[in-house]
Amino acid sequence: MFEPCHDVVCSFWSMLNQGPMTLTIILHTLIVLPMVWIYFDEKKKLQQGE
Amino acid sequence: MENRPTSVWTSNRFWRRSATWVTGVAAVLLILLTFDSMGQMQMGTAEDIQNKVTKRIPSPVVINYKIDYVLDPYRGHEVPVIGGQEVDSATGKVSSKFEEKENFFGRSDWSEEEARALIHKGKLTIQAKNCMDCHTLLGNGAYYAPDLTKAWLDPAWSSEGPLQAMTGASSKEEAMAIFLQNPEKYPTHERMMPNLGITPEEAKAVVAYLKFMSAIDTNGFPRNFGKIKGAVDARK
Repeated sequence: MFEPCHDVVCSFWSMLNQGPMTLTIILHTLIVLPMVWIYFDEKKKLQQGE
Repeated sequence: MENRPTSVWTSNRFWRRSATWVTGVAAVLLILLTFDSMGQMQMGTAEDIQNKVTKRIPSPVVINYKIDYVLDPYRGHEVPVIGGQEVDSATGKVSSKFEEKENFFGRSDWSEEEARALIHKGKLTIQAKNCMDCHTLLGNGAYYAPDLTKAWLDPAWSSEGPLQAMTGASSKEEAMAIFLQNPEKYPTHERMMPNLGITPEEAKAVVAYLKFMSAIDTNGFPRNFGKIKGAVDARK
């Protein structure tokens, strides 16, 4: 299932890019997950009245 | 801890932090991906071909090799194959063998310097004659005349093809060079190409550039090229 290299020239990105969509999903996850943390962090701060 | 009702969605600070994060990460990613693309676009060397290392843009010495265009079921599109193909029986992945040579203007021992100089001259000619006014090369140009990205692989120019027979030449490269010098004599397309005053030396260089360009892995671009009968898996 996991391919060490999924491109003509191997790179870090070709490891993440295991098929159509995977690179996109990985990069979006990288952006969205910390935003979830930002949301709950802000919520906590607002509840504490900061 | 006090638990009073709050609305994060209407908090300015939440949106500011989110925007900062998204913009920052996207900027860093774009910079990293730019360096990655630069690595992908690096031209290969003669040593790569000797060591059977596939590069998207191969060394200019590919003009010494036979170039095929085959469907790679693993990648889902056609790929150029240099000097014979090898197929992985498990995945169907196609790779180049870099073994079978073919003559290019009577020789198959063009050195890297010679081939690079010839291709460079071809590039300068293509720019000087404004081929992209009508043709498309590697995604740039117009569609008034045929896309030239994979023109070298067009079976019409092969030994059994009508265009080579029309010029009376005995090889694909000579036929293309003759056509380029006298395009008004040979009806190859519904819109006839004008005579651009291309010299024999320039024509040779342009044909070298076309052959080199056909060996570039363009992820199956242009997509409609495979519809030309006999263009893909020609040796099957």
